[in-house]
Amino acid sequence: MDAVERALSAAREDLQVPEGLMARVLADAQAMTPPRPRAAARSARAPVWRMPSLGGWRGLGGLVAATCAGFWIGIAPPSAWPDAGAMILGVETSTTPYSDDSEALSVYGWDIEES
Amino acid sequence: MPFDKRGDPTDEALLSHYAAGDGSAAAVLTQRLLPRVYRHALRMLGDAAEAEDAAQETMMRLWRVAPDWRSGEAQITTWLYRVTANLCRDRLRKRRALGLDEIADPADPAPGVARTMQDRQRRDALQQALQSLPDRQRQAVILRHIEGLSNPEIADIMDITPGAVESLTARGKRALADILAGRKSELGYHDD
Repeated sequence: MDAVERALSAAREDLQVPEGLMARVLADAQAMTPPRPRAAARSARAPVWRMPSLGGWRGLGGLVAATCAGFWIGIAPPSAWPDAGAMILGVETSTTPYSDDSEALSVYGWDIEES
Repeated sequence: MPFDKRGDPTDEALLSHYAAGDGSAAAVLTQRLLPRVYRHALRMLGDAAEAEDAAQETMMRLWRVAPDWRSGEAQITTWLYRVTANLCRDRLRKRRALGLDEIADPADPAPGVARTMQDRQRRDALQQALQSLPDRQRQAVILRHIEGLSNPEIADIMDITPGAVESLTARGKRALADILAGRKSELGYHDD
């Protein structure tokens, strides 16, 4: 092996990168790190109570309360309320406590025909 | 999970992760690529302080280009060697314009590492001989005979044909041999 080959062969040995240079390059890399695409990731993973379209947790609370109230009213409507379904269908669902020939009407004299 | 525990991702995959905001990918890339960049700059410039600046600037350009890196167009190492060489040539031009070419100290490739005086003399002699070559010849010799790249890889980096690389490296090596031949006994080289 001649002098050039030996010199080049010796030069192939790994050089140590100065520590200061390594630190500076790493600092540059951190400082220049592009921002993560946060907006898209957040909206994709956002829990339902954080969805702006629902008005936040207050809006969601109102939505849940209204849903429960509607469900309960459907199961057990107040007796004073008219039966909307029956009204639409034209059906009488309430029972009349008195009939024309009941004794009660006679008591008040409503069954007496005026002559 | 840190990147050094995830197998062996490609340079391009790491750069893509960095571009997506993952700073840990840059640490792995730096460990992997900075030694080559620094070594190349040091051999091109023959001055440790200038080589550090050139290597840092090269890596900064890589971080800057990361979001726009087009996959599959070029090897990252090829791109880095190209940028390093361009920055070094700019510095050499400025040095010559200012008449400072002669004052560059011989490179000290491994400061702090104990070595014999003769080893150091040999390394300095090689660096001085490299500095006497024309820039393109020096670049080709460094890439071929120190970095160990193939002629097609060097051709890609230098944007010339593999035949032109062969010609540059052959002439460069011959010139080095002529220079070192005159210092053979001084450097303790004896023909085996």
